[in-house]
Order: sequence, then structure tokens, then C-alpha cells
Amino acid sequence: MLAIKTEGLSKYFNNKKAVEDLNLQVPEGVIFGYLGPNGAGKTTTIRLLLSLAKPTKGRAYILGENISKSRNYLKKIGFLPEVPSFYNFFTAKEFLNFISDISGMVKPNKKIEEMLQLVELNKEKKRIGTYSRGMKQRLGIAQAILSDPPLLILDEPTSALDPEGRKETLDLIASFKGQKTVFFSTHILGDVEKICDMVGIIKEGRLVLNDSIENLKKSHSKRTLFIEVDKPKKLMETLQYLNWVEEMFPVNKNGIMLEVKDLQFAQKSLPEILSKENILLNKWELKEPTLEDIFLEVVHNGN
Amino acid sequence: MVTKLMKKEWNEYLKTGKFYILLFVFIFFAILSPITAKFMPEFIKSLSQEITITVPPPTWRDSFVQFSKNLNQIVFIVIVLVFLGSVAEEKNHGTASLVAAKGIDRRKWVFSKFLFQILFSLAMLTIAFFLCFYYAKLLFPETQFYLAFSSTVLFAVYLFFILTLTIFSSSIGNSMLQSAGIFFAIFIILNILNIIPQVNPYNPMTLPSIENQWIASKVAWGNTIKPIISTVLLSLILIFSGAAYFHKQEL
Repeated sequence: MLAIKTEGLSKYFNNKKAVEDLNLQVPEGVIFGYLGPNGAGKTTTIRLLLSLAKPTKGRAYILGENISKSRNYLKKIGFLPEVPSFYNFFTAKEFLNFISDISGMVKPNKKIEEMLQLVELNKEKKRIGTYSRGMKQRLGIAQAILSDPPLLILDEPTSALDPEGRKETLDLIASFKGQKTVFFSTHILGDVEKICDMVGIIKEGRLVLNDSIENLKKSHSKRTLFIEVDKPKKLMETLQYLNWVEEMFPVNKNGIMLEVKDLQFAQKSLPEILSKENILLNKWELKEPTLEDIFLEVVHNGN
Repeated sequence: MVTKLMKKEWNEYLKTGKFYILLFVFIFFAILSPITAKFMPEFIKSLSQEITITVPPPTWRDSFVQFSKNLNQIVFIVIVLVFLGSVAEEKNHGTASLVAAKGIDRRKWVFSKFLFQILFSLAMLTIAFFLCFYYAKLLFPETQFYLAFSSTVLFAVYLFFILTLTIFSSSIGNSMLQSAGIFFAIFIILNILNIIPQVNPYNPMTLPSIENQWIASKVAWGNTIKPIISTVLLSLILIFSGAAYFHKQEL
């Protein structure tokens, strides 16, 4: 079943198309990274999914429920806003008590203590108004997962955290794999590459990509090899007449970047050539596209 | 759910000091009104030794006219300032979207705020009335409970209307400033409409002047029933339309 499905979801502000014809599919149990440049429509999508904004047209289904019919589905979602805002007069514990109250939790005290410990706010007795942005972000994560919802929607969950806090948050999100569906927007590509199963890339309000990272890497594979040998000139002279070599250029002193037509064929042929020409191989590296390469290609070229 | 949300409001009023501000304002003017009524004429006389100022002897009615005046002016402004941001400021700060995203019924959220405000204000008004009555009775033993109480009941009806107008303005506006604009626009329009004789008996803005009439003369329920019914009806329209608007509003 799909945790999130949208059909032609659109949101216009006057004449500006914030989200246009969005057809998003997020299967249950996956960690889904929602990528896009600033102003692409990530937060608007999230607001639409949470019924905080009304769609101009289109439909959305969350855990099988049509979100325009009723708002009951919201009880199954944990939400972390981009800039978490809380009641500044509460302490973290009091705030989580309030959240457990309105979420209808029974005997939440143990769970609240666990959450406070998890986000390292268990010893914090001060009011939320005095917290740093990072502390608020951690409290935001705690309130989102407090009632153990099956779907988490997190808007830029690591944006205000220091490297240690970021790692802990990413580890926490990664631990939900297979148990919860996590939909999180971010512009930190490294975070997505580390923990996500699937990504969606939105550009100018349009979803330009929605696939698993594995498929993306396959489809965007460049068939590029980097090799380092003791006689690079000699090797380049040999390779230039071979029809399976598409492009090559020297890198540094002894390196050659090689783009080939058929990667498997190149992997078989190159050792034979090196042996025949008596060239010593120092380094061999298959260059896979990073998510950053794919993102930049999609955002700039649109495919 | 409503009681859980009201519990949060109670915590907020205690922790942010709003509770103490309102308590102080109500108690201060409750005690001050009879004292001012009793000693103001003597104070005015003592201002000048050369000119003779004739001031009628104070009565218990002056205490409650003063009390009513204070309630309708200073206490009114404090109440509006404290309550006007209740929904709008939460929208502005983002806490409204955080709570709405938890799936709570937004209409219940607005009702819980209103219910808390009206119960809280009525409790304050009751304390203030009995304090004012106690001091008035001390200073003017002839003080009549029924007339004073009836006048305060009228203010309670007026307060009910003001609070629904406050919550309506706060539900519509996206900031304290916008809400204040909506509130005062409606308030001024109703005051202007009060000039029209045909509208006057049905206008909530008539209530403060009837309060004084009741203290000064006697209770005439027949003349008051129309503004009371129309005020309650208008209040219900305001609270339900405010909640309905907020339910559909983008946050």
C-alpha cells in the first residue's frame, strides 16, 4: 500500500504555481527524501498533505484515506515543521504532556521520559522560550514521534543541528526503516544518500523525479572509469583506436578518466590490454554518479 | 478534548502572568470604585480653599456607577488586549499549525479558548462584584444588592458579546494587528448604528447605558429583554462563524 499518493495535486497562489500537477507515490515503510531547490514547493507540498493549505486542484491520499474527506488521518502522522514553534512558557516535559493529552495517549509518562532521554532534554528544566534552535529541533522530533505514528512528515529535520545532532537524528530516522514511513524534505543531499530508500525531486512546483535511489543510480550511470597506470600516454595511444571507448582525458600525472559504451566489456578488455602492453595498473575505480550529480542534472537539465 | 485544551489555556494564563494582570485589574477597580465614590467629593472640596465647590453628597449608587464605568472602559481595554491575540498570535507563531496537524478539531480548539475566556472573565467579574459590594456596604450601609447585582449581570451579557467579538476577530485575523483592526471596525460600526433609533433597542452597544440606568433608578426588564436577546444571538453568530472560518482557514 502507498503511504502517500497524490493525483494532479496543485496549489496556486494568485497566478503563481507553487505546486503543479504533483503525482507523488511513497510506499509504506520507506524513507523518502523530498529534494528541491529553495522555493521549489517542498513546504507547500507538506502543508497540502497536512491540510494546512487547500489544494487548488487534485487529490491526495494518506494511508489510503482521501484527505479532503476528513482530517482524522492526521492522527496517524507525526509532523515536524521547518521552524518548530512551541508554547514558549512550557518546559519540554510540560509540552510533551500537552501533546500526549491532545493525541489521546493513555498513561504517557513513561513514553515522555523515553522521548526526552532520546533527544537529550531529560535534564532540561528551563522553559522552551530559552532553548537554542537545535534544542527546539530535537524537541520537535520528540513531539513528532511521541504517539508512535505510522507516518512521519519532517520538514528539514536536520537543518538547525550541529554535526553530532545531525548524525543522531539521521540514525534515529534510519532506525524507522521498515517500521514507519518517513517523508522528509531537505536540501542536504548527503543526508538523503545516507538513509533514504527513495527520492522525489521537485523543481518549480513540478515533480521531476520519483524513484528508488538504486534505480536512479542505474539509470543515471555514466559508465565512467578512472584508472591510474605507470605509462598513461602509451595507454591512451592504444585506447584511442578502440570503438568501445567514447571519451577519455588525462587526470593529474598518471590518471585517465575513461567513458565507455559498455562497462562490462571494458572491464574484461582493459586488463588484457594492460597485460599485452606491459603497463602497470596502480588504481582502478568505477565512477558511480552521486545523488548530487543526479540532482544537479535533473534540476538543471530537467531529466 | 475541550477540557484538555482549556487546561493548556489555564497553564498559559498562569505561566505568562495574564492571570495576575486580569486579577489585579478586576480587584483594583472593584476596591477603588466605592472608595473613589466616597472620598472624591471631599477631595474636590479640599482642592481649593478660596472657591466654594458644591458637590452633592455621595451615595452607594456612585460606587456602582464608578464600577460600571471602570468595567466598560479600563477593564474592557485590558480584556480586549489580553484576549485578542488568543487565536491570531498562535497562527502567527506557528503553534496553531502544529496543533492543527495533530488532527484536533479546529472548531473545538476555538470553542475551548472562548469557553476558557468567558468562564475566567465571569469568575473575575464575580470576585470583583462581591469585593465592590463589600466595600460599598462598608462605606454606604444603604447599598442595595439587587440593583447593583442586576447592573453587573447586564455587564456580564455585554462581556459575553465582547469576548465573542474578540474570538471572532482573532479567528479571522492572522496577527494581533489585523485582529485589532477587525475588532475595532465592528465595534465602531455598532456604535455608529446605535444612533439610529430603530436599531438602538437591538444593539449590544446599548447595554452599558442601561447598566447605569438600572443603578440610578430601578430594574426594568421589559426594556432590556430586546438588547439582551439580540446580543446573545449576535454573540452566537460571531462565535460559530469565527470557528467555522478558522476550520477552513489555511494555516
